[in-house]
Amino acid sequence: MRSIVPAAAALAAVLALALAAGATAQSPDQKVVLTVGLTQDLDSPNVTVGELVSSFELWNLQYPTLTDLAADDLSTAPGLAESWSSDDSGRVWTYTLREGLEWSDGTPITAEEVAYTINRSREEEWLNHYSTVQNLTAEATDERTLVVTSSVDDPKLPGLSVYIVPKHVYEEIEASEIGKYAALDGVSAGPFSLKEWKKGQFWRMEANDSYWRGRVAIDEVVFRVFRNADAMVAALRSGELDAAHNVPAAAFPSLETAEGIEAVEGEQGGFDYLVLNSYAGQPPRDETKFDAPHPVLLDLRVRQAIAHAIDKETLVERVLSGLGTPGTTISPSPSPAWMPELSEEETYEFDLEQANQILDDAGYTDTNGNGVREHEGKDIVLRYAIRTESEYSKPYAEFITGWLKDIGIDTTFSSYDDGQLIEVAGKGAFDAYVWGWTPFVDPDPMLSYMKCDQISVDASDFSNFWNDTGLCDPEYDALYAEQNTELDPDRREEIVHEMLTRWYTNAAYVVLATSPDLQAYRTDRFSGWVRQPAEIGPVLFSNSSPSYWSLEPLASSGDGDGGLSTAAIAAIAIAGAGALALVGWVVLRRRSVEERE
Amino acid sequence: MTALAWGRRKRALAQTWAEYRRDREGMTGLLVLGGFVAVALLAPLLADDAQLSAVNTTGNEVWAPPGEHPPLGTDSLGRPIYDQLVYGSQVSLLVGIAATLIAIVIGTVVGVSAGFFGGWVDAVLNRLSEWFLVIPFIPLAIVLAAILGPSLRNIIFVIGVTSWPVTARLIRAQVLTIKQRLYVERSRALGASSLHVMGRHVLPNVAPLVIANATLTVPVAILSETVLSFLGLSDPLRVSWGSMLEDAFSAGALGREAWWWYLPPGLCVIAVVLAFTLVGRALEAILDPRLRAGRAG
Amino acid sequence: MSVRFVVGKVLGAFATLAFVLVFNFFLFRVVESNPVATLYRGRNLTDAQRDELTRQFGLDGSKLEQFVRYVEQTLQLNLGRSYATNRPVIEEIWAAAPQTIALVGVATVISMVIGILMGISAGWRRGTTQDRVLTSTSMATWSTPDFWLGMILLTVFAVQLGLFPTGGIEDPTSGATGFAKLLDQAWHMALPCLTLAIAYVGEFALVMRSSILDVMREDYLTLARAKGLRDAQVRDRHAVRNALLPSTALIAINFGFVLSGAIAVETVFSWPGLGLLTTEALRGPDLPMLQGLFLVFSASVIFFNLVADLLYPLLDPRVRYS
Repeated sequence: MRSIVPAAAALAAVLALALAAGATAQSPDQKVVLTVGLTQDLDSPNVTVGELVSSFELWNLQYPTLTDLAADDLSTAPGLAESWSSDDSGRVWTYTLREGLEWSDGTPITAEEVAYTINRSREEEWLNHYSTVQNLTAEATDERTLVVTSSVDDPKLPGLSVYIVPKHVYEEIEASEIGKYAALDGVSAGPFSLKEWKKGQFWRMEANDSYWRGRVAIDEVVFRVFRNADAMVAALRSGELDAAHNVPAAAFPSLETAEGIEAVEGEQGGFDYLVLNSYAGQPPRDETKFDAPHPVLLDLRVRQAIAHAIDKETLVERVLSGLGTPGTTISPSPSPAWMPELSEEETYEFDLEQANQILDDAGYTDTNGNGVREHEGKDIVLRYAIRTESEYSKPYAEFITGWLKDIGIDTTFSSYDDGQLIEVAGKGAFDAYVWGWTPFVDPDPMLSYMKCDQISVDASDFSNFWNDTGLCDPEYDALYAEQNTELDPDRREEIVHEMLTRWYTNAAYVVLATSPDLQAYRTDRFSGWVRQPAEIGPVLFSNSSPSYWSLEPLASSGDGDGGLSTAAIAAIAIAGAGALALVGWVVLRRRSVEERE
Repeated sequence: MTALAWGRRKRALAQTWAEYRRDREGMTGLLVLGGFVAVALLAPLLADDAQLSAVNTTGNEVWAPPGEHPPLGTDSLGRPIYDQLVYGSQVSLLVGIAATLIAIVIGTVVGVSAGFFGGWVDAVLNRLSEWFLVIPFIPLAIVLAAILGPSLRNIIFVIGVTSWPVTARLIRAQVLTIKQRLYVERSRALGASSLHVMGRHVLPNVAPLVIANATLTVPVAILSETVLSFLGLSDPLRVSWGSMLEDAFSAGALGREAWWWYLPPGLCVIAVVLAFTLVGRALEAILDPRLRAGRAG
Repeated sequence: MSVRFVVGKVLGAFATLAFVLVFNFFLFRVVESNPVATLYRGRNLTDAQRDELTRQFGLDGSKLEQFVRYVEQTLQLNLGRSYATNRPVIEEIWAAAPQTIALVGVATVISMVIGILMGISAGWRRGTTQDRVLTSTSMATWSTPDFWLGMILLTVFAVQLGLFPTGGIEDPTSGATGFAKLLDQAWHMALPCLTLAIAYVGEFALVMRSSILDVMREDYLTLARAKGLRDAQVRDRHAVRNALLPSTALIAINFGFVLSGAIAVETVFSWPGLGLLTTEALRGPDLPMLQGLFLVFSASVIFFNLVADLLYPLLDPRVRYS
């Protein structure tokens, strides 16, 4: 026995040492590191494949754009191009690039490089480029001069903010292989370049010395992915993080009042929606590879009944803790002017009785009295997908499926992370789920996503789509083409209003709420946080993320933080208590042995 | 014979109960257990199942501490913790008992057959139970849920199917002892069939041990259910203590210090598991001849 | 220990492993009559679709052909590719395994030492207040869901007090290397490790206590006392030594199971080991990954069972030649 006690004591001592040392060994390195917490991992660093907000932030930091978006009002501002002019037709624009532009590996950025991205992305219909470049042809007339010609009148020009990729890297990759490219090359012309990505844990980016605005004041930015939003908030409070994106609404009020932390409710037109899979055979898919929606969802009356069964006020209040506003149509831009006013008869008011009436009239009745309506003799059961990467997804599901039950529609659940849900949506293997969009400045990209040609039909790449409803409305497409070439802003706005009203009536999307980006940052580490757009927008994960190149470290703050030394003290205290307990135990044991003898 | 045997068994039962009553820990466990069983059975009287659905609780305050929404406060969607806790007891007890019944049935059939027939039957069954002993059942449950979809039925099935080898081994050993005794008794000599012997003599004799062992299987089943629900593998439409913990975890109850949400389900699991364990140990101490001998000594 | 004994045990372990392979194969293919229907449950597929999917999943040919192919691939450590990352499953498992082994290894050693000490002192003073306190503590920790305990430790020590990190295995911003990095990882491991140690300690204590009680009935203890040895000497020289035997076997078997036992705790602490890999694979679901993980978890149980079988006779002369 006596041989075990010292062993245990030694073990405790070693542990304590490890703890204490671990706590103090956080060597105060000299690098200025910005650490950002978020709950969504990258889906892919490959700009032709990724579609998540997290990936867009990566590209905002790594890839330059020909024109930039002004930090305050998102208007067109100089980027790689320092100036531009157009001919009389307004269809031919000539851009002059800055002098001495370079990629982080030293390769010069010429007009030829920019033309390469524009032309190739148009030819290959790259996911995140195509809606902007579909009508454009680019040509480099010399090292610094780029001529862009549009085949139609294009209201978006001269703004041209697609991500420019390094030609010398991408020309090695065949069109057929580009979707599989891992894109970890780290060749950057933005403020940072990607150095490391540990899936599910973090990705790390280092400052790019040849950034055209000049090297930024931060040496490194680390994005840490949290599976538990509470842990993320705790990490922000303790100083492990400098900023956090997607702060849970439950924790937001406490951060608003916390000292040394600034909480930001960032509006940039983002919204949450319920999608109903409405794919009715157009455009044609290879049926052996794709899945089909529940047939009742192809009946407009059923979708309308569902739209009537959703109480958006309650969702905002209960799910979003009041941080948001009930939704109507999709919001295609941070500017609310693009959204139409819906008349009363156009609006699907929350009314369960009316919803039930619509379904009764449509002939979906519950004949066997089990509370679920039937279609062709079988209970109507919808496949509802839950997103594991959003803490709102389950509460939304709880309410929505509760109301669906009230109108006699049953549901089954499956859970997916965002990367997987894209594939599931692309295959059409769902009936309903809730997700969100964050629009760009010009309404065009958001509007283009709902076109017929954005429906997933490519069986070799199920993530190659935007229109997750599967609903094809040719008249909507016609209106899209019209606004796409309408140079009169008022007329264009009118067309957009008509499109959005049409899309609302189709009820394949039930917009639940506008949802602000809830963020928070520590005020003791960096100064120069920029909200985009000014005053109302978020500080990170915005359209062009200007904060990163504006931030300056505060002189007084070292990189280490107070929690560490406390941890060392705690470790020593715990170990000490353990040792004391052991000693006490030995003493007591001795005494009891003596008593016995 | 029959009347005589029944009388003997009745007396044995009475004696066991008398012995059990003296076991303070066992009685505590039994009392706690009785309480939970009563709550589960009387759930419709004690709580309102309409309150389990968020669409019906929009009148309630969200995140209300117990003081504001007695007796136990509400969760992030305004659903009262109390109603969830009461209905959650049904799932935990159902899973625990149903899974254990499956384990008992399989274990008894395998154990009795192996012990009674001996020879190659014994060898094959022995090997089989050895195989099932090495299957890690949490991963198995995860795999089955992934293939068949999350449901309560799967959880019960998995726990039942992986818990029988212990029962089978215990019973086999008992059957072997009883068989020795039976050979000198007359029923065998009179040419009674194997089935008859098994039904009349073997089963009643191993029954107490099976029960004691089963009581110890239930808590393992309940703990497993909690873990699996926490991982999101239980029926999403039924509230259980594990699913309450999962909800609390993902809704941010920890950061919000909503202790009234995440403490009660955990404490209930501990109480039920502890109660079953206490009862099981007390029964084992009385019924297992090996432990009895130890007691006397 | 005879060579025959060792060979027999090893062969037995391989037989069990073969069973697990068969089981794993059928689990993913014959759980329901049609595997494609199982994977695409509730969806309407035409015959052509079904044939196509069957080919894709390598489910064509007879069951026997499929099985032979599966065994061949598995023997070459080819467990297929993950649906989620498109990387070989075996690579992902190798990358995650060290973290889990470190976590459960340290936790098991700590809980073993403390549990055994608790069990000895409880058993030796059977029926005293000390026994009652130690035994009820053991039973309470055994009854506690480990992930729940983890949640509470996380709340108290990381969220409220800010003494420990909130999750993960290292601080990606520290840039520490070598020993400093190791220490950083140890610091991150403290809370999950403490959680598992508390969760395991009860079982070790209870097993050790009952082993001690068994040993106390043996004649040689009475003999030792009769020889005039002091109480502590009897306990340390005779009782503990003999009681450790059954515990050792149990501990070895336990090692196999703890690998899979940390799944929920790893999830709570975002510890990037096999457990987190399992819950991530579950979200897909990433079936090849789950199948691979299940095989690895089962194999680890078999391996440690074998270790227990081989250790036991080494430690206990009485079963040496059995």
